[in-house]
Amino acid sequence: MNPANATAAATYSPPVGDIILFAIMAAWVVGFALVTITRRNPVTAVMSLVATFFGLAAIYAALSAHFLAVVQVLVYAGAIMVLFIFVVMILNREEVAPLALRPMRLLGVVAAAYLFFVFWKVVSQGVATDVAPPVVPETFGTVASIGDLLFREFLYPFEAISLLLLVAIVGGVVVSRSHQKEVAALRAADYRKQVEQLASADYPGKQEEPSASAGGHH
Amino acid sequence: MAIPAEYYLILSFALFLIGTAGVLLRRNALIVLMGIELQLNGGNLALLAFSHQLGDQKGHVFAFLVIALAAAEAAVGLAILVGLFRSRQTINLDEASMMKR
Repeated sequence: MNPANATAAATYSPPVGDIILFAIMAAWVVGFALVTITRRNPVTAVMSLVATFFGLAAIYAALSAHFLAVVQVLVYAGAIMVLFIFVVMILNREEVAPLALRPMRLLGVVAAAYLFFVFWKVVSQGVATDVAPPVVPETFGTVASIGDLLFREFLYPFEAISLLLLVAIVGGVVVSRSHQKEVAALRAADYRKQVEQLASADYPGKQEEPSASAGGHH
Repeated sequence: MAIPAEYYLILSFALFLIGTAGVLLRRNALIVLMGIELQLNGGNLALLAFSHQLGDQKGHVFAFLVIALAAAEAAVGLAILVGLFRSRQTINLDEASMMKR
């Protein structure tokens, strides 16, 4: 799975220093991703996910995607991971059976194996390793050029993303809110209505101001 | 760095596969959400590798939109998790089966 083990190309071979650097970053990313999905303790998993995202930011920078590397650190390693850590602190529970392989789940393993097969076919055929990567211009992937593209050609998707984030904020608050106060208010309203009915049943003639306090002293 | 795009594609493939394994095999809902994040990152890496190979920056914009989507997904998913924990006292996905009956 480590790309550095692939055989060097015939017509184009990347510089050895680059290969070593890429192998280190790839091993870092894959190793911490494996730690993420195998640990039983959720805090360890979150921390190794942060390490994975930092390694990915380094790889983005190697692809001269400078803006995306910074965004990766800010949004993923910053915002999303803080959210994860807070939720881990709220729901810290020991897992009983982390890896449950039941017959139905074996179907999922078969599906994953098929996915692996298809991906491997796509990756191993058609793409040549012996083609030198193109030399990109200096401005490739900088904030200025990405912003130019984002605010001219992709303005509508950008605005749609802002709407999506608004919906996500409202949805998150509504779903995770505590409902205890509302339940208490509903119960109090029910009680008030019962008292009101009792009061009006006692004196069918007088129905001015039927309230909870008036129901007490008739 | 002058690394051919195929190496990046193999790495993104490995990352997506690890994320898929996490989603399919783990029962802890938190770890499943982390697996989804790994899958999204694998897709992002493929987008950026193709973008670099073709010299076209549109892939960067797509990756940016995917990151925003991942943030929204994490917020809503974790909120659902907190709601599930409030009502059932568990985050094990096998026990969250009240809609099956």
